[in-house]
Amino acid sequence: MKILDIALKDLVRSSRSYFLIGMALVAPMLVTALIYFALGSMTGGDVSAFSMRVGVVNLDTLPADAHLETSLGQNIRDMFFDESVQSWITASDYADEAATRVALDTQEIGVAVIVPPSFTADYLAGNYQTPVTILQDPTLNIAPGVVRDMVISLLDGMAGGEIAYRVVDAQVRSNGGVLEPASIAGLVQQYGNWYIEFQRALFHTPEKAALVVTPLGTGDENTSSITRIMGMVLAGQLIFFSFFTGAYAMMSILQESEEGTLARVFTTPTRRAAILMGKFTAVFLTVLLQGLVLLIAGHLIFGVHWGNPGSITLALLGQMVASVGLAVMLVSFIKTSQQAGPIFGGALTGLGMISGLFTTNIAMPDAFNAIGNFTPQGWVLKAWERSLAGQPASELILPFVVLVIMGIVMFTVGALVFRKRFA
Amino acid sequence: MRILDITLKDLTQILRDLRSLLFLVAMPVVFTLFMGFAYNSGGTEDQTDNRPVLGWTSNDPNGLISQQIYTLLSQSETLKLVDLTSGTAEESVRAGEVSGALIIPAGFSDQLIGMENSSQTGAPTPQLALLADVNSPQGQALYQALKTVLTRSMSAAEIASLAVDMSGEQGDPASFEQAFNAAIQGWAQTDSASLVKLELAVRETEQDWYGDNPYNQASPGILVQFAIFGLVTSGQIMVQERKYRTLQRMMTTSLPPWQVVAGHTLAMFVLVFMQEALLVVFGQLALGVDYARAPLGVTLVSGTLGLWIAALGLLIGVLAEEDSQVVLYSLIAMFIFSALGGTWFPLEATSGAFSKISKIMPSAWAMQGYQNILLRGLGSASAWLPAAVLMAYAVIFFGVAVWRYRKLKI
Repeated sequence: MKILDIALKDLVRSSRSYFLIGMALVAPMLVTALIYFALGSMTGGDVSAFSMRVGVVNLDTLPADAHLETSLGQNIRDMFFDESVQSWITASDYADEAATRVALDTQEIGVAVIVPPSFTADYLAGNYQTPVTILQDPTLNIAPGVVRDMVISLLDGMAGGEIAYRVVDAQVRSNGGVLEPASIAGLVQQYGNWYIEFQRALFHTPEKAALVVTPLGTGDENTSSITRIMGMVLAGQLIFFSFFTGAYAMMSILQESEEGTLARVFTTPTRRAAILMGKFTAVFLTVLLQGLVLLIAGHLIFGVHWGNPGSITLALLGQMVASVGLAVMLVSFIKTSQQAGPIFGGALTGLGMISGLFTTNIAMPDAFNAIGNFTPQGWVLKAWERSLAGQPASELILPFVVLVIMGIVMFTVGALVFRKRFA
Repeated sequence: MRILDITLKDLTQILRDLRSLLFLVAMPVVFTLFMGFAYNSGGTEDQTDNRPVLGWTSNDPNGLISQQIYTLLSQSETLKLVDLTSGTAEESVRAGEVSGALIIPAGFSDQLIGMENSSQTGAPTPQLALLADVNSPQGQALYQALKTVLTRSMSAAEIASLAVDMSGEQGDPASFEQAFNAAIQGWAQTDSASLVKLELAVRETEQDWYGDNPYNQASPGILVQFAIFGLVTSGQIMVQERKYRTLQRMMTTSLPPWQVVAGHTLAMFVLVFMQEALLVVFGQLALGVDYARAPLGVTLVSGTLGLWIAALGLLIGVLAEEDSQVVLYSLIAMFIFSALGGTWFPLEATSGAFSKISKIMPSAWAMQGYQNILLRGLGSASAWLPAAVLMAYAVIFFGVAVWRYRKLKI
């Protein structure tokens, strides 16, 4: 009963600490929310979701003897000014490359397309040595690729027309016929129409396109990539801050020691083991409460499906045991509450870092990932990874057992130090 | 002079505590190395095959066009093709065994061969289904790779249709196949990508250009982030002065309040600027981030960034009532300004409200100032605008802090 009284008193004290609440709940949710909103706006599948500014320098001219209505450079230029792309591309004409470089330097535009003077003539002559230059702001990664794809797509359209002519001409000739000039124009026109429709469907009416993307059926699993990513981000934050919460909650033992309350409590008939057990219980409950709140909030706010109940229970319990064990051990090494900042900051941030809590969605080298096998945070992450992937509780037994062993070892070390200190 | 005394006192008080060095120097250095390592590992190609895996499920196994699509996909350098047994596509994608699955409907090739050229008839094109999440990087990579292969295959089919149509061989599968193969061969010899050259718009003309250094993003990003996080130590001074009644005693002296504020702010500025200078030197010497190519520009951005952060620190110091609140407010400020300022990830891909808010963040302007020099290869002149904006922010934050300071009940 006294154990529970002490635990309850510590819990009340923790709940009054804005700092602890901030670190336990506000900080992990804030980080996750910021990443969520950023990711939510990074909708990779829809190019129209982001905008870009493109500068075009068209120095190309139509050769007098060319059987084309307009030069290739003009087609490239018109593509960026087309009504269909105006919602996400703002295009401007520039006189020369120097002008686009100035515009790029001042971030007036992000990408510049420069069509060289004899591009059409060289292309028609089969000379492919004068390429279109795409100048890009070095800080951009997506827009230059999109512009490049658009130009290649247009050139592919031209190449397709040429292939169509060659193939049809050969086929007609093999049957003893001859392709009349009027038919050639008609053929190129027909192919051009088909190609434009085909590309338009791919970009603008995906439901009519030759390639239809079918998302995975909706269930309560983490079906969308954003939800999956958010699950891992929040798991990383949950683990990182649960170890922080455990450590800071455990700090009450040091604070009470410094304030003299602990010494007074020790003078009462209550056994020291019971007092320490009460404090450990409070930490355990604080971490449990934090975990539950973040799991529920993560599910309600970000739609994260944490896994099946058995897996969640094992992951959460393993996390609690490990974080309490590490908290007891860390605090046992600290002499004063003033030392807590650097020790918690350094040790927990360092452990979190090498355990992969900040790089949950980045493919790290195997050697780096192996480090996580030696840290409690690394094993908690493994447990949550499996739970988030929908694996059954049986798949979490190994990480759970490892976490319990780690937790018990760290707890024992810490308890022994405390026993010696408060003997 | 008395302002400097206060500044000196604050600096002594902060630096006397060795813990400060952990927050101000050790942690940012370790984080810079770590993030650079992370960016590097994500960007370099190692021995492992990191191509997205496409599962192939064909209900048209002997079809001319579907076979051609299979051949082209199996030769692709951007994806890895694996055969899936019929009906296992969704399960395989869900289990993460493949990044996506392409499902070819029954009779796909015959439908294409049988139909007259669609440009004339306007008949709907037979459709292939890609089972994937295209919002994921791997799903997006699959979609892009498939678009190219499919465009060429469908183009060859359209050309073959036109050929049999114009040569009067409609309905002759052999003629269609001959024309289709000829068109595929034509496409194999086409390389439109070689006609497009991608070039970085950098002003740098020296041979040892550092623009592709992965630490060019990590180093300034961590610098900005930890400059704000450093307020954990300096922001507490104001709170401690109120807590220990030093401020109240100081108010009884002839020292005007503005000088007290100026002294504390100057201390925070000196501390932040020293930290920035250390990280710049570390970035330059240890990581090869070429800050030294525009020293005036780097100093301008760092100086005005330091002024803004000092003003922010003053505001936190005035708003917080306890030491722990300083830590909390500093952390929250760090999270918000870092994420929205593009220190964690490039802001290019963001859109909507996030993108709009990001563009006005002082941290984003600081990043822009550093990136102008480090990535764009521009000179010191490019730092003026970011520096001016940071200066304006410093004035605004300082004004708010002073206004709140006057309302303090001391």
